[in-house]
Amino acid sequence: MIYSLLVLSSPISGHGSRNAAEFAQCVIARGHSLHRVFFLDTGTLASAANCVFPQDEADPLRTWVALAEQHAVELVICVSSALKHGMLDQVEAARHERPGPTANPIFTVSGLGQLVDACANSDRLITFGG
Amino acid sequence: MAANGKKSMLIVLRHSPYGSSLAKAGLDTVLATAAFSQPVDLLLLGDGVLQLQPDQDGHRIGQKNVGRQLSSLPLYDINHVYVDAEAVTRYNVDISRAPVDTRMLDKEELHQLMAGYDHLLGF
Amino acid sequence: MILHTLNAAPSSAAFEDCLSVARSGDAIVLMGDGVYAALSGTRAWEELQSKGAELYLLNSDALALGVMQPTEGGNWIDMDGFVALTERFPRQQAWY
Repeated sequence: MIYSLLVLSSPISGHGSRNAAEFAQCVIARGHSLHRVFFLDTGTLASAANCVFPQDEADPLRTWVALAEQHAVELVICVSSALKHGMLDQVEAARHERPGPTANPIFTVSGLGQLVDACANSDRLITFGG
Repeated sequence: MAANGKKSMLIVLRHSPYGSSLAKAGLDTVLATAAFSQPVDLLLLGDGVLQLQPDQDGHRIGQKNVGRQLSSLPLYDINHVYVDAEAVTRYNVDISRAPVDTRMLDKEELHQLMAGYDHLLGF
Repeated sequence: MILHTLNAAPSSAAFEDCLSVARSGDAIVLMGDGVYAALSGTRAWEELQSKGAELYLLNSDALALGVMQPTEGGNWIDMDGFVALTERFPRQQAWY
């Protein structure tokens, strides 16, 4: 089956984002195809490149990066939400005259059309929030 | 699945507008889906019915007016806005002055509605 | 047939909303703070069981939050089991 995920909550508070990352790993492990993970609203904070975590705590970014690097999972952050949350890639940083990018480059900045496309082309759309 | 083989979507808004960015994210998703000609309907459930509050003025707190966004839904061919009747009663929302026409459903009907879509997006 | 994922404690609007909609033939997966609804001897657990839906707890979250495996009325699943559930249920509603 083809899966896509919608992630709406921050990786630092709540359980949604963490469970989304683990769910994504299991989808692939079970032999399904993971078409796209779309991060919207506060979910875009998953792309933050500069978070620092204590040694004895998990760094949520690692799981997403591993998914993208090892399994070519497409991670998309919604541009309007990303901008409001300060998640800018190189292009947006230049466009809005900000000092530099703040989003990890493994994430692609794009519009809601990518979420619509994900829904149209997936057998399962699983939402994670809270 | 919708008649033309496209996946049907129901956006479910459960959060009140302005206090959480989720409601706006959900509404933007409804509009984007319609703009890309995919079948989409909207359900306002629980606190989500507060999107319908008449006389909203989001500009007073520096935000876009949700009521105005809702009233533009028919222009995007989004003609089905379903509403949790129990929540409307609980909040005493004056539906007659809501920014968009709606269809009130009880909880049993809400379940039946939700069970009929390919994808449910919960905001 | 709806798969409900509940990621909020029983005091929340999410819990109330989820329970008001869920029906027999559906499944409810308790995850995150939702696992607190499975604390034994609570009204929340009784209410959940009365819906007639299949009831599941995400074991990693339950164990992390100190919620023990229910002696009856709920199924303990891991993330792989949760994915398996999504294979069976065509649509998921996230409550949080």
